[in-house]
Amino acid sequence: MAVARSRSKLVLDIGSYVVLIFLAFICIAPIVWTFLTSIKLEEDIVTRNMIYIPTRITFEHYVNLWNQSGYPVLVVNSLITTSVTVLICMLTGTIAAYSFSRFHFRGRTQLMLAYLIVRMFPAVLMIVPLFIVMRQVGLLDSSIGLAIAYTSFLLPLFVWMLKGFFDAAPKELESAARIDGTTRLGAMFRIVIPIARNGLLATAVFVGIAAWNEYLFALMLTTSQGSRTWPVGLQLMVGEFQLPWGMLAAGGIISILPVIVLFAFVQRAMVAGITAGAVKG
Amino acid sequence: MATLSIKGVRKSFGSVEVLHNIDLELEDGGFLVLLGPSGCGKSTLLSIIAGLEPSSGGDVVIGERTVNDIHPKDRNIAMVFQSYALYPTMSVRRNIGFGLEMRRVDTSSREDAIGRAADLLQISHLLDRKPGQLSGGQRQRVAMGRAIVRNPDLFLFDEPLSNLDAKLRVEMRTEIKRLHDRLGTSVVYVTHDQVEAMTLGTKVAVMKGGVIQQLADPQTIYEQPANMFVAGFIGSPTMNFLNGTLENQDGKLVLHHGEETLELSGVAKGASAYVGKKVVAGIRPETFSKGAGPSALTGIVDVVEPTGPDTMVVLDVGGQMISARLGSRERPHPGEPMTLSVDTTALNLFDPETGDRI
Repeated sequence: MAVARSRSKLVLDIGSYVVLIFLAFICIAPIVWTFLTSIKLEEDIVTRNMIYIPTRITFEHYVNLWNQSGYPVLVVNSLITTSVTVLICMLTGTIAAYSFSRFHFRGRTQLMLAYLIVRMFPAVLMIVPLFIVMRQVGLLDSSIGLAIAYTSFLLPLFVWMLKGFFDAAPKELESAARIDGTTRLGAMFRIVIPIARNGLLATAVFVGIAAWNEYLFALMLTTSQGSRTWPVGLQLMVGEFQLPWGMLAAGGIISILPVIVLFAFVQRAMVAGITAGAVKG
Repeated sequence: MATLSIKGVRKSFGSVEVLHNIDLELEDGGFLVLLGPSGCGKSTLLSIIAGLEPSSGGDVVIGERTVNDIHPKDRNIAMVFQSYALYPTMSVRRNIGFGLEMRRVDTSSREDAIGRAADLLQISHLLDRKPGQLSGGQRQRVAMGRAIVRNPDLFLFDEPLSNLDAKLRVEMRTEIKRLHDRLGTSVVYVTHDQVEAMTLGTKVAVMKGGVIQQLADPQTIYEQPANMFVAGFIGSPTMNFLNGTLENQDGKLVLHHGEETLELSGVAKGASAYVGKKVVAGIRPETFSKGAGPSALTGIVDVVEPTGPDTMVVLDVGGQMISARLGSRERPHPGEPMTLSVDTTALNLFDPETGDRI
């Protein structure tokens, strides 16, 4: 009886591992394939028979990309746009999330729902009005303008996520701080934000990654090299008669590096923050 | 130190009124306990005194100042919360000194004050730890340290012992009483535990449904409860309520309950107005003693519960269950008849319609 049970458990375990390894392969294979492509010789990339492992490793695609295509400018533009987006979200979203979490004002629920509704529309719907507004105020084709456009759909995400973290911080702590001598805003900055700092970090990283990878708005709202971000720049490398696979792959790898590095640094805090919000919220 | 006056304080949430015209006075150095079941409005009243919740009407006066529109930080009060509300990201030292830090007290005076408070509460060895590294009792002490370090006019305690285990609760209760005796600061203390109320308070306000049912010293509340709610809420086991009819028999007041007759002596003068009417007699379990007498009840023993110092007996008297606290040597057996005499001088009569004491 016991043998039969342990055997069926073994089969179940093997089955689980097969499924999990298959799913992990589906997730990781494209990234590995992109990396391998980026270090292959040009003649190893477009071939009659598929060459999986590079015959010789080369970094010429990286060098070409960096020196010839203006890719550094794209990365810098992306960095500026992402930083400004995160900054705006942090400055306005933190106070908004705190207000939603702590004050029961008239129209609070409706306002929260309105924030959500913005996220339910397809992004394409918002692009035309945003384009007209940006042109009117002279922010078309600028990093700041693009960051403001990103804020329009990332701020609701930021506020909703952060509200969960603020809800998890006990209200009695602020009462204690107010009796101890702080104002409401002081209690927020001195007590609540330090408690919710993992959540704040997690939310900021979420928003940062979303802004870093965004393509559609960047394509529509930027027209010149001066403000274009890397996803658009990379796509524009695809010409009518040429498809520089090696450079595209190298661009892709460079672009995900900041995300990987950022995630490696903050993953512990992020996981702690996300689970804290999930369990207590 | 300061007096506290609450004059006609009301509080409504929308159309629901949770506090109705509360009037209270606390003398300088007094210990006022707000006692009542959950939802009676006692914590709301405490929040109004602290300034964390605005009242819908009435005045709160601390010392000579009406503090209705004064921010909590400017009321010179300190509060200990049920969950202790220690700042988790700060060390114990900074937790205790946070109020002084906010008031821009210089570092050396602050350190002195923290040291004195820590010595008083015997937590000097914990000063560099974070709240997460402390036990429940230690957190409780830190919370009290944070309250006493500022030398406030008024201490507010919001069920501070309810998160502790039974043994620690008794220890900390003694500690709070000792601290109050030593510091002499006025205290308002919220609890639903009647033992805490009786042992700590110089004054107890029993609340129900946003109304103060009785405000008096603990002994008066116990011996002369204003109504059946207060009588039933205070005391463990709870007071026995015996329904009966009041009669005048040969110039003496007697209570008829079924076939039993209790001769009443020493009850309130107003009782004679109830002759011929139904009343409720409130009898504390400890006022019974074994044996017959002019005021005695006979019934069948239902349950016997020896507790060590006492023996609790539940007696079935004509279908009504009566609890009696007898000496530890009394060991009746369930099912056998028993007669208990009542000390009627400690008996209270209530109007069954209004529930008020006669």
